[in-house]
Amino acid sequence: MGKNKIILAVGLALILVPGFFLCSPPTVTGREDNRSRVEMVNDTIRARGVLNPQVLDAMYKVPRHEFVDYSMRPFAYADRPLPIGHGQTISQPYIVAYMTEVLELKGDEKVLEIGTGSGYQAAVLAEIVPEVYTIEIVEPLGRTARERLARLGYGNVEVQIGDGYFGWEEHAPFDAIIVTAAASHIPPPLIDQLKPGGRMIIPVGPVFYVQYLMLVEKNKDGSVTQRKTMPVRFVPLTGGP
Amino acid sequence: MKPRHLDSAVFLISGTGIAYQVILMRIFSIAQWHHFAYMMISIAMLGFAAGGIVLTLLYRWSAGKEASLLRKFSFILTLSLVLCYAVSQALPFETYQLATQPIQLLYLSLLYLILALPFFFTSCCILLAFYLERGHVGRIYAVNMIGSGAGALVVVLLMFLVQPAAIPYCLTFMAALATLLLFIDGPYPGIQTLFLLTALFCVGIVVGFQPIRISEYKGLAYALRMPDAKIRAEAQSPLSVLTAVESAMIRETPGQISHRFKAKKDAILPDQIGLFFDADSVSVINRWEQNPQEPAYLDYVTTALPYHLLDKPDTLIIGAGGGTDVLSALLHGAEKVTAVEVDPRVFPIMKRHFQVFSGRLWDHPSVEPIQAEGRAFLQSSRRAYDLIQIPLLDAFNASSAGVYALNESYLYTKEAIQLYLQRLTPGGILAVTRWLKTPPRDAIKMAATLIEAAPDAGIENPAAHMAMIRSWNTATLIASRSPLSPLQVEKIRRFAAEREFDLVYLPGIRPDEVNRYTILEQPVYYEAVTAMLSDKRKDYYRRYLYYIEPATDDRPYFFRFFKWGSINRLIQGMGSEWIPFVEWGYITLLATLIQAMAASCVLIVLPLVALARSALSHKKYPTIPILMFFFALGLAYIFLEIAFMQKYMLFLAYPIYAIAVVLTSFLLFSGFGSYFADRFRGKREALIVRSVILIAVLSLAYMVSLPVLFQAASGWGDAAKILMCLILLAPIAFCMGIPFPTGFQKVTSDFEACAPWAWGINGCASVVGASLATLIAVHAGFRIVVLSACLLYFLAAACYFRMIRSSVSRL
Repeated sequence: MGKNKIILAVGLALILVPGFFLCSPPTVTGREDNRSRVEMVNDTIRARGVLNPQVLDAMYKVPRHEFVDYSMRPFAYADRPLPIGHGQTISQPYIVAYMTEVLELKGDEKVLEIGTGSGYQAAVLAEIVPEVYTIEIVEPLGRTARERLARLGYGNVEVQIGDGYFGWEEHAPFDAIIVTAAASHIPPPLIDQLKPGGRMIIPVGPVFYVQYLMLVEKNKDGSVTQRKTMPVRFVPLTGGP
Repeated sequence: MKPRHLDSAVFLISGTGIAYQVILMRIFSIAQWHHFAYMMISIAMLGFAAGGIVLTLLYRWSAGKEASLLRKFSFILTLSLVLCYAVSQALPFETYQLATQPIQLLYLSLLYLILALPFFFTSCCILLAFYLERGHVGRIYAVNMIGSGAGALVVVLLMFLVQPAAIPYCLTFMAALATLLLFIDGPYPGIQTLFLLTALFCVGIVVGFQPIRISEYKGLAYALRMPDAKIRAEAQSPLSVLTAVESAMIRETPGQISHRFKAKKDAILPDQIGLFFDADSVSVINRWEQNPQEPAYLDYVTTALPYHLLDKPDTLIIGAGGGTDVLSALLHGAEKVTAVEVDPRVFPIMKRHFQVFSGRLWDHPSVEPIQAEGRAFLQSSRRAYDLIQIPLLDAFNASSAGVYALNESYLYTKEAIQLYLQRLTPGGILAVTRWLKTPPRDAIKMAATLIEAAPDAGIENPAAHMAMIRSWNTATLIASRSPLSPLQVEKIRRFAAEREFDLVYLPGIRPDEVNRYTILEQPVYYEAVTAMLSDKRKDYYRRYLYYIEPATDDRPYFFRFFKWGSINRLIQGMGSEWIPFVEWGYITLLATLIQAMAASCVLIVLPLVALARSALSHKKYPTIPILMFFFALGLAYIFLEIAFMQKYMLFLAYPIYAIAVVLTSFLLFSGFGSYFADRFRGKREALIVRSVILIAVLSLAYMVSLPVLFQAASGWGDAAKILMCLILLAPIAFCMGIPFPTGFQKVTSDFEACAPWAWGINGCASVVGASLATLIAVHAGFRIVVLSACLLYFLAAACYFRMIRSSVSRL
């Protein structure tokens, strides 16, 4: 009987101990966060080619760990997307930086974001431009993001909970628009609410990974060109001789 | 003491086992994704092998206690069916988070273990029954096979009647009945029965009814999160669970709407009802007030192109779904629209629940709804159409994730395209629309298929017959039966320019006309189509990053793009970023195979230690011949089973019919074969040799004759087709039932300690074989799968002779 109990205890320990380490995040101190953030910007974002100083500065400033679930904090500064519940994710930091850079912001623009999610992208934008409007359809996500952004002092972000399909008419037109969660089509009202000369960016890909970005440019004459840009080094499609 | 109702109990337990496998597969396809479901259930099926292995290890301990152990295992099996299902639904496993959350690996391992338990107990019960009937393993095996066949049939029937989540509970009754039959003549029948019922009651109270927990990343979960979302109707069948959801925020279109489309804010799209199949791929029903000018946006998507080239075309739509493309045909003045839909519940659900909403679309005088599989319908109808439309059949997001990579699709094979082209009127047009992926794949493969199929359909110079345009996320490819006229070419140019869609190809295209609105780094699509129309086609296939050679009926994997030759380029070129660019279906299959092989190695080698210990020095077991015999048989059986499922899928039109028919008749007739083998009084060696030769001859004969037979019978009704399939399969299945029990009888009588090991080996081989067969089919085609199966049968026969020789030498 005694032997059996020991076997049982060892078995339980074998399952529970690694489980405990996998489930419970190590405590992260504020100083460690700052260091990880500097590493994230230098080792990943800058190293992979995002060089716009405004964007890099914004990525330094926004405390990404505040935008993820407590259990995800140890991974907050890793260059990977993280789940935030309700089938949504927070994009990997490099993608956020890349998208922001592609918008070519000068610092005096009005930006609309469709799909607030955690609010991280909005915070990065708010470090660069004076006015950010963001719409989230999933109420709990929108509410959390609104509280979070307020708590972190982003007074220049306005969060609306609702349907992003029709844009935000009372603040239109926008210099730049970011649409996450592209479905079967880009909502036509969003193109209408883009200023001539403005840029709209849409990340496209399966749930966790961005495959490419659609950059929609509204020309001064109102015509529209779209460009697929790749956040990753592009592999030649046809190889060899 | 042997239980009196042993045969009936084995029959019920076997049936429960296979039914549980089928229903778990359905449940996890709804909850997560098809390919991950496949992986999880395949690995869990190793529980079956583990049963044999554990009993090998406990061989000496279990001797003499068979009957009581059988009762106990049957009792636990009954409880485990519901418990394991309930626990599996409570685990917060998410396929999509596997790459980002290490704990998901723990959940996945737990799921494997939990789901394996019922199979483990089933296997133990059957093996113990073999022990109890040492002299007649052929009979028990026959009962096991026939029970499994019946189980497969019962679960498919149940799927028509009950929602999938309730089926594990139904199966509990089957298992409980088996347990009761075993208890009747047990030592304390009354007390044991009472105990069983109490335990069942308690389990019922504790776990309750567990609905399927659908992944938060599936389309239906997204739709239901919309604040105004309401489920308006639900219907189940073995094909899929269909859920109709109403929300103002469901807005699905067949690809990008040109920004040139101008409409009032609330008139961009009509209200829509989303039809979700297995909680994912959505098709929509549009609100329609029978206004022929609506929904106007349908003139601003790429699928509208063919209507601008034809006047009042007699149109066939393959994959009508909720009817968006039917509306498009009516909007563009089609004279007659034949709308074919494969899912038998779509038309009834629309007529019953959304008749007014859809503007009585299916009763419209110009519309003829037909419930059939598109290709089978066209094969049998013999009519020609001015326009055959193959619209987008899958959802955009699922497509970009590459989750379809291993779904067989007979709609997009070379033979299918050839059929469509042949069924066009002289000036008729075939139009196919695909979602675009980055880097480009689908649309290029579609163009390749068309280019290769055209000559066989009598179109010698496809370059003069085809055109292709694209928006940012769709491409529409058209092929005309006659060369496109200069006027038609001009119309294509105008259509594209007015909507700012890019031209990819048309007869006489100039390089400066392409890549203007959605600008790619290189004009890949244009380059691909022009290269494939030249004599450098094969060279282009070889050099391209993805596998873009056309799919054929022998290798019907249109969505397989993964190419081993490119893996270096992907990893070197993209570093850690290659993850989203991989086709997950293929990787999952590979992962399944690797895991199954690794686990099988452990399961097979582990008992060898125990066997070596139990065997006395003068009593060496012929372990290698036994291993090879049972492994080869397991592989060969599943290879043929899967190959026939494939062949029948094309003929019976519904995968689920094919699976049910093949499983049921294979198991049933193999059962009869086993019974015959048990009663056979002649020389066993001769029996094995004859059956193996017959299997080889029959499978080769089927390979040659089935396509011809199917062609001839394509117009038959479903019942007649199913009957024909059952009869056709009977002889080969009968022969396939013979080798296993003959060999197993030999092992049980001469090397009894090895019997459970042999059983376990066979279980491992079935799991490994299932993924291996698919992998071979993907790369080499089904013919090679069948040929390999024949060779494996011959190998098994050779091993049988080795086994006999060593049993003789032991005497």
